This record gives sequence, C-alpha cells and structure tokens, in this order.
Amino acid sequence: AQKTKVSENDVKPKKEEVAVNGEPKAEQGKSLMEQLRGEALKFHKTGENYTTEGYVVTPNTMSLLKKHLEFTGGQIRTRFPPEPNGILHIGHAKAINFNFGYAKANDGICFLRYDDTNPEKEEEKYFTAIRDMVEWLGYSPYKVTHASDNFQQLYDLAVDLIRRGHAYVCHQKGQDLKGHNAPPSPWKDRPIEESLVLFERMKKGLYAEGEATLRMKMVMEDGKLDPVAYRIKYTPHHRTGNEWCIYPTYDYTHCLCDSIENITHSLCTKEFQARRSSYYWLVNALDLYCPVQWEYGRLNLTYTVVSKRKIIKLVEAGVVRDWDDPRLFTLTALRRRGFPPEAINNFCARVGVTVSQTTTEPHLLESCVRDVLNDTAPRVMAVLEPLKITIVNLPENSRSDVRVPDFPANEARGSHTVPFTRTIFIEQSDFREVMEKGYKRLTPEQPVGLRHAGYVISVQKVIKDAQGKVVELEVNCCSSDSAEKPKAFIHWVSQPLVCEVRLYERLFLHKNPEDPSEVPNGFLSDINSNSMQVIRSALVDTSVKGAKVLDKFQFERVGYFSLDPDSTEDKLVFNRTVTLKEDPGKI
Amino acid sequence: MSDPVSSCTARLQLQEQEIRTLSAEIESLKNPQSLSPSPHLEQLRDENTKLKYRLNILKRNLQAERSHCSKHMMNVNLLLQDVFGDAIRASCPELDDPPLVVTPNQQAKFGDYQCNSAMAMAQMLKAKGIKISPREIAEKIIQNLPENDLIQKTEIAGPGFINVHLKRTFVSKLLSNLLLNGVQPPPLASKKKVVVDFSSPNIAKEMHVGHLRSTIIGDSMCRMFEFLGYDVLRLNHVGDWGTQFGMLIAHLQDKFPDYLTSSPPISDLQAFYKESKKRFDEEEDFKKRAYQCVVRLQSKEPEFIKGWNLICDVSRKEFQRVYNCLDIQIIERGESFYQDMMTEVVKEFEGKGLSQLDEGRRIVFAPGQSVPLTIVKSDGGFTYDTSDLAALRQRLFDEKADIIIYVTDSGQATHFQLVFAAAQMIGWYDPQVTRVEHAGFGVVLGEDKKKFKTRSGDTVRLMDLLDEGLKRSMDKLKDKERDKVLTPEELLKAQRSVAFGCIKYADLSHNRINDYVFSFDKMLDDRGNTAAYLLYALTRIRSITRLANIDEAMLRKAAETTEVLLDHEKEWKLGKCILRFPEILQKVLDDLLLHTLCDFLYELATTFTEFYDSCYCVEKDRQTGEVIKVNMWRMLLCEATATIMAKGFEILGINPVHRM
Repeated sequence: AQKTKVSENDVKPKKEEVAVNGEPKAEQGKSLMEQLRGEALKFHKTGENYTTEGYVVTPNTMSLLKKHLEFTGGQIRTRFPPEPNGILHIGHAKAINFNFGYAKANDGICFLRYDDTNPEKEEEKYFTAIRDMVEWLGYSPYKVTHASDNFQQLYDLAVDLIRRGHAYVCHQKGQDLKGHNAPPSPWKDRPIEESLVLFERMKKGLYAEGEATLRMKMVMEDGKLDPVAYRIKYTPHHRTGNEWCIYPTYDYTHCLCDSIENITHSLCTKEFQARRSSYYWLVNALDLYCPVQWEYGRLNLTYTVVSKRKIIKLVEAGVVRDWDDPRLFTLTALRRRGFPPEAINNFCARVGVTVSQTTTEPHLLESCVRDVLNDTAPRVMAVLEPLKITIVNLPENSRSDVRVPDFPANEARGSHTVPFTRTIFIEQSDFREVMEKGYKRLTPEQPVGLRHAGYVISVQKVIKDAQGKVVELEVNCCSSDSAEKPKAFIHWVSQPLVCEVRLYERLFLHKNPEDPSEVPNGFLSDINSNSMQVIRSALVDTSVKGAKVLDKFQFERVGYFSLDPDSTEDKLVFNRTVTLKEDPGKI
Repeated sequence: MSDPVSSCTARLQLQEQEIRTLSAEIESLKNPQSLSPSPHLEQLRDENTKLKYRLNILKRNLQAERSHCSKHMMNVNLLLQDVFGDAIRASCPELDDPPLVVTPNQQAKFGDYQCNSAMAMAQMLKAKGIKISPREIAEKIIQNLPENDLIQKTEIAGPGFINVHLKRTFVSKLLSNLLLNGVQPPPLASKKKVVVDFSSPNIAKEMHVGHLRSTIIGDSMCRMFEFLGYDVLRLNHVGDWGTQFGMLIAHLQDKFPDYLTSSPPISDLQAFYKESKKRFDEEEDFKKRAYQCVVRLQSKEPEFIKGWNLICDVSRKEFQRVYNCLDIQIIERGESFYQDMMTEVVKEFEGKGLSQLDEGRRIVFAPGQSVPLTIVKSDGGFTYDTSDLAALRQRLFDEKADIIIYVTDSGQATHFQLVFAAAQMIGWYDPQVTRVEHAGFGVVLGEDKKKFKTRSGDTVRLMDLLDEGLKRSMDKLKDKERDKVLTPEELLKAQRSVAFGCIKYADLSHNRINDYVFSFDKMLDDRGNTAAYLLYALTRIRSITRLANIDEAMLRKAAETTEVLLDHEKEWKLGKCILRFPEILQKVLDDLLLHTLCDFLYELATTFTEFYDSCYCVEKDRQTGEVIKVNMWRMLLCEATATIMAKGFEILGINPVHRM
C-alpha cells in the first residue's frame, strides 16, 4: 500500500469551546479507534510485508513470511521499546498510544520491550517507572521482554554474521570514527576466521575497552560507514550480571529483537528513517524474518523541554522540585498534576499519527484534559482568596444542609451536602465596592445569588481594616424564590476546610525555549517566574474530606484540581490541573 | 645538541607541572571543607572497578577453558580454589586481595578438602576496623559459592574452617577420563621455555656424589617440566675453561709430542691431572709455560684448541658412562661457550656505570648485597661471576628462557644470589616475569653422618658407587630367589631398575635442601618409603589384572562403559588420592621440591594396599583357583593407580619393570 502523507487537519477533530458545565462529549472515546483505523488502512496485512514500499525482498522472504504467519496466526504484533535510562515524557505517550492502541484496535498484541543493551545507563528505578506509566495509560503489555533476554542468541547471530562475511573485528579508535569523513577501516578485509577468533577474544575479556569492536559491512543512509554491532564494556548489566563484557548496539539489537519477537509492524519515530535500510539489511543478511519498519512524526510540545539532561538541569537549578514537578511534561509530572490518562490518549489520537513532525501547543492537551475532567471530576466549592460574609438576618446558631449535585448537568449522578451557616466565605473578586458596567456579581447595590443554596444576598455593611481593605461584609439574605432573579450566582463555602492550593502556569516564556534564536541565553534563562503560585490557606467545602491522592475535582467557577501526594491528614494540597477555560485571564 | 636540551626542558616542564598539581592537591587536602576526593581518584576507582570486572571475566573463561579440555587431568584443588575464590571475593568486597587457602584433608571426618580463609580474612577485616567473626565469614562464603559440579556439600567446623565434600560423580568422571585419556598434564596457558642447568662436572676431574645429586635432581625436574608441556633445555655447564688447562696442555705436549696426529691414550685423566699439578707446583719453567699455554688457548690457536679438545673428550667419555647408567639426556655447554660473551658483559656493566674499580679489580655491587661480584680480576682475567653472568644473559636473550633453574649445592647460594641481583639491576629480567632460581641441595653424608668418603678416606668415584649399587641389587634379588623365577634378561633388567631406581629415589625422596645420608642398606629395603617398595607395589598391582585374565583392550572397554563406583570408603579414599596427582605436580612446580612427589607415590601405594586389603577385586574359587567374578570398577581403580604410579616413576627417572 502506498504511504500517503496525512495532514493534521484530516485527523484532528474540530476543536470546540468547552463550556464550563458543558455536555460531555460522547464520541470522544470512539475517536481514538477511528483514527487508528484510518492509519491502519494504510498498513500491510500480516504476512504481506512485501507490499510495503521500500521493503526488501530476498529469495528467502516468502518462505520466512510463511513461517512467520504460521507462528503468529495472522495476529498483529507491535512493541513499545523504550531504553530504560530515563523517565517517560509526553513524546513517549504517543509511542505507547500508537503501538498499544494499534494492536488493541486490531485484536493484536503489543510487547513492552526494554531496550537494555547499554549497561552503563540503566537503573532499576526506570524499569518500574516505565511499566507504571504504561499501565497508568491503561495498557497491559502482552509480555514484558528485554533485549538482554536475547544476549546469547544475539551473540550467536553475530558469529553467524561474521561467518557470512558481513562483519569484522575492527581496532579503529572511537575518536577516529567520529565526524563525517571517517576513514574506512583497514581491518575490513581481514579473513573471516581471524574475525571469528578475535570476536571470541573480545567476549573473553582479552581486549581493553575501545581496543576492538565488531562492525557490520554496510553503509547507512547518512553515509556512515560500517556501524558498530558490538563494543566492549567492563560494566555489569542489571539483568545479566557479570556474564558479558561485550554489549550489542541499538543498530544491531533493535531489528533482531523485532524479528525474534515476530513483530509485524515496527513503529518508530521519524529519526529512525535513516536506519531503516540498516534494519532491513541486517535481518536479511542473517536470513531472518523481516518486520516492516514504519516511521511517524515525533510529537513535540511547545513551552517545555523533555530531554533528560535538561530536566536534570532544571532540577539541579531548583527551578522545579523533581522529575514529577507538575509544570513538566514527563508522564509522572502530568499524572501528579492530575491529567487523566484517557485525556493523554485522546490527545495522542487528536494529534494523530502522521509522517510529518508535529509541534503542538500545550493548550490542545489541556483541552483534552478538560473534556475528560468535565465528565469525571465531581463539583465542589472552594474559595481561594476568601472574604468573610456574615448573614445578619439569620439566627446565631442557624445551620442547614445544602444539597450539591456532583454533576449539575446530570443530577442523577449523585450529590453531596455542605453546611450553610450564618458565616460564609466568598471569593474576594466576587465583590466590588464600586459598581462597574457589565459587572454582574456582588456590589453594595447589586445582590448576587449563592449557588445551590437557594439564597440571594445583599450587602448591609462593608467592614474595613485600618488600611481601608475590605475584610468582612454583613449581608441580608432572602430565598431566591422570593427575590428578584440575580444577575449571577457565585460559589461560597461555610465551615470549610483549610487547604493549600498550587496554581501552575507555563514554565517557559517562549514557545521554543531550546531555540537559540528565540532564547539566546539558553532555556534556563527563559523561566516564567510566575509558573507556580502557592495559596496556603484556601478554603474548600467539607465534601473533599477523605479524598485520596490524585482524586480530581472541579472547584466550581475556579478550575480542575487534583489532590497532591504532599497532602497530610491535617492539610490537603491541591494542584490546579487546568483552568476551566482556555484563558483564565477572562472573566 | 638542541634535541637533548629541548627534550630535557620538556621533561622539566612536565615535572614542574606535576609538582604544581601535587602541591595544589596537598593544599586542598589540608582544607577540611572539601571532603570530596579528587577527580583523579574517582577516575582511578572507576578504572579499578572495570579492571576487577575484566579480571573476573578472564578468570571465568580460563576456568571454562580448563574444564573444556577434559582430556587433561584436572587439578581439583585449583578448581576448588576458583570456586572459593569467587565466593570469597563476593563475601568480602572490602578486601582487595583476600587470602585463598584450600587444602586436602587428611582425616575423612573433616571432608575431602578444607578452606581456611575465613580466619585470615577476619584478621584483615579487624585491621580495617570491621569486626566480624570468622564463622560468620565462613557462612557468607558458603552462601556465595557459585554453582559448580564438584562440591557435594560444605560444613563449618571449629572457628571457621569450611569442610568440603566432593561429589562422587565428579570424582568418578575424572577417573574415567584418566583411564580413557591416560595421564595428560593439566593444560598449559602458553608453551614456556625452561633452562635447567644441572650436573655440571669439571673437565679433567672426577665426578663425585655432589654431581650425582645435581644430576638426579636436575634430570627429574626436567622430566617434570617436559611432562607438563614445557620446552626444556637441559644444559651441562661443565668447567672446561680455566688456568688448569694451561698446565694440562703443557704436560700433554711433553708426554705425547705427536698428540696432534695420533690420539694420546689417556685412560686415567685424574692421574694425568695430578702429574701436571705436581710439575706446576715444583718446576718454575713448566709453570711459566703453563701460563703461556693458557694465553695461547684463549687466543684460540688451533694446536692448543686441539689439545684442549683431546683432554675434554677423555672426561666426556667418563661422564657419559655415568649418564648412560642413570639414563640422563643433557647438552654440554661449558664455560668456554661463554668466553666472548664475558667481554661484552663487562662492557655492558661498564657502559651503564654499574661497575667500579677496586684495587685493580672491576667489581659490581648489586642492591641489597653486601659482597660485590668481581667481573674482572686484577690480572685482567674473568671469574665465575663473569661466566655465570654471561651464561644468564645468553639464556635470557638468546634462549629466551622464561624459567632458568640452577641445580647446584647450597654452598653456591650466595654466589647465585649475587649474580641474580646484578642481572636484575642491569635490567636483564624482571623477577615478576621471568623465574630465575637456584635450586640448592645439601651435601651427601656417609652412614657415619660425616662427609661421604671411601674407607681409605678418598673421594668416592661415582662409577664405583654405581657398580656397588648394581652388585648390592643383584644380591638382594638373589636373596629373594628371584633368579629362579626370572629369565636372565629379566633379572638383569630388574637389577638395573632396582639399583639405579633406588639410588635416585633415595636422593629425591629427601628434601633436597637438607644434607642426606647415603645408605645402600636403607635404599634397597623393600619396606618403607623406598624405590624397592614402590617398584614391587607397582608390579603387584599390574599382576592383579594379569591374573584375572584381563587384557588392555578389555580394560579400555570397561573404562568406556563401567562407572567407577566409589561407594566403599577405601575406594573413595583411593579415588581421591589418585586425582591429587596434578595438584602434587603443581606444588613441585612451585617449590621444586621433588620429595613431595615421592611422598605422594608412597601414600598412593599404601592407600592402594588399604583398598586392596578390604575390597575384593577378583573372586576366585577357593579350590580350583578359577576366576568366578571380576569387580570391573575395582580393576579400573587398580589400573588408574598403576597409571599414575608409572607416570610418577617416569618423572622421577625410575624405570619400572614388568616382572621382578
């Protein structure tokens, strides 16, 4: 099948304004599958790898495909192959979503394969973190595998490759091979027997690091000569211990592991296009089953950095607290901030799988988050900057319960009650001493309705402190049934819990903080100093009491919030996941 | 001129830079605030970790290589050391070089081998401020033992001894391998060159018992190295160059003026030597001529060389008779061979400024040595110091020897110590790489514990001694009425085998470092640790199979198909004893003390007797003597014992006979 370039607009559903209490979008879940199916139409049928443009057919291809088909029974097999050397970020989410999603949509299977061939960079914590994130995104791998599971087989294949005259042991130094016009190896034509002996010696520890490598006789797309297949590292491997001192490279390992696992569609990002021919070359040189490699555009998000090195710098500079600081776009950070996994999946689907590289602004992701939370986060009332209100026409000890629906748009989904007493708190911004045209909320002259309570309040007295700041209002209240319909209803709390609220904004001021033309002094000079605002004594209604970490709520008229792991018994801490509307500046 | 100046300047600059770095480092160390180690240290630590990792890989592959060559005999002790080495390193990563001690156990109740490292490790840890009991360490070691196929079980005894019980199947398999492949030496990493300098008598002088010791010990060492696969050069460093040849040639010219055309019939060179010595001492003219002769010989005038050769030949014939009796192969390469090289040695020491003049002599002080070597005498002549330095140099650079061994009496220990120290000083070899060793031995004493002499007080001639041995051996055989059983040929063979075997074994079975009492009565005794006993033991073992009508083909077939059962306590003991052969050889290789091998053979023979006394090999009908049942696995044990004993004899230079 012809691979056609799919433009972003074809797959991206029309973005709609999401109303504060808008209707949940029923078709949201479906769109993911639809998108995938759209792409899948362009993929080969299992066993018909040769129909893909650029696929290399050898005299053995047909019989190998036949065997492959017998083994797989025609099932789609994909894999998500991260290197366990860092934390996953939003870019990985796309790979997870595409690989697992494509398999799932086609009744296929998807492997989680750790590409753990570099013992120097791997740490146990990354393995568990990666698996956590895959599962958090709602996928369960058919099987968790490791490239290192195949070390012996890969070694045997390397010996075979030498025997077939396709690889040789080279003694050129690493620095001689750097740069563009690296000289060809003087060892390229050494006898096969010699390379076999020397390769075994590499394995037995007879060379120091860097004194010998195994190289494959092929030229890569970018002109790189004879990529290295094996190098010596006197470093233990977290899984194979001290068994090996030669380790295979990505170029050597990746395609062979795909082949060993009978992967049907080897989906990877665009950067690997330059390695497609080496991928096909190697499996064919060894007469092994050859999967189809298909590249899609990498997902890049503006206003952030995702590289491990740069995040380390941010942590070290104290700009962010840790890898999961909610201002970052690592998956752990997004989880902590309260992004639901469905939203991330929907976002990936919306961005779509295209050949071209996509750069997306975070608001698209946030809008996906709003869509999901609107449908799933129960409403509660919280006042971030409280103003005390005393209702003078209520008796001293008056107390009544007010029923608040969890989802006002669908009251059948349940409700909770909050107390209503003589003292309540409202947002300072919901009162203005001086009336302004178009201002619909409380002023000394203009009454306002209290949401859910069924009351309308009107100001009786404004109490100020020595500096002239309004500190309290005394009001009268009357039932909304008896009063004239107010122009607006505001949220309030009574006998509330005190909690901490953390408000987040973009971490960087510029769209591309890594672009030297936009930010000449480097990304560390581009930090938004207001990226986090902490409100230590916000007030929230008692219905959130007992909430668990990562429980999500809509603070009515304020935004979506998620309970942070920093919370204690005595004090809840909420992260603002997203505002209710795209631009919180507007009122 | 500019070149050395600039290179010196560069060197100085480098040194100054280093001084600056070091001072900076010292300064930073003085500053208590910066506790972080220098980046250089960090780098070295990383490198060290990587090197350790590599070492481990290399060791493991070495071990794999060893066990791959199953044709070869395996050194069980070494295998255990590998296994325990891994475990010990894993249990105590704090120690850089933890002690590794694994020894065979004498008492069966403590298992077969024992690892005693825990005690020493506890001491070392204590010195590092870590308190942990040896027993705990022993437990850790056991926990860390890698998977292996040789250990059945381990247990901790006493303060922290680890007793090791071997797997019976493992021992049984090794015995089968031994039977199928014969006694194959453990594999050698690389073929090394060994020079053994032994025997080395003086021309024109009689060989005496001191030379006998050197000859026997040196030959046996050569045989061991050869068996282990080394490339051995046996050198006879005869005394064939010196002032005595002046007087001998002068005397020759007087007594046999036509010596150049017809060979002079000198039968008794010793008498000839005495005559010339007498004239040298008494006749002033003769003495002068003798000195002239030395000069003309050293300038290699053909007539003088011819005369010198004639005299040497007489001695060579004498020596060869002894070597024939004792079955000694050796290449003569006397002091004369190194004549021209001595000049170069002197030049080299002078050139490197390592020698100095002292009252007309040229001497060399080697580090740590209080006495100097004299490399040129005040009359311009060379000394033993010079010739031994030249010989050492030639063996290192021309022969490219990896191991050089001098087998002489212990009296020369100081001399060789000086020579070796001087050679190291001048940089000819690194003792870490090349093994140069003087294997000294004590003097031979008579049964009266005094210097070995004839009754008349003369030095005992070696040929006479050997003849006496033959006579005594025959007497002994006749005492036992063997002359009535054996054919005349067999009897003669047995006579030589017993006579020379006993002389050699008596020498080899004593620690060579000690003085040793020469006694025909003791060496020919067929009880105790003697060649006579062992030779009888071997023929007896061989006869067991013969009497059971089992031939070689049947034994071979059995070795392929029959498992060597080791259920009986004595079978087990014998089996393990047989397999200790490689570790015994390893020990001898390390300390060059051949009596360890003799002790082992004696232990093997007695262990075999214990086995034979309690385990039936062949069951026969009491009346008819007909063979009813053959316990084949026991026949295999007999065969394995015999093979090892025979190989042991071969290394000792003892020639066993089939019947005696």
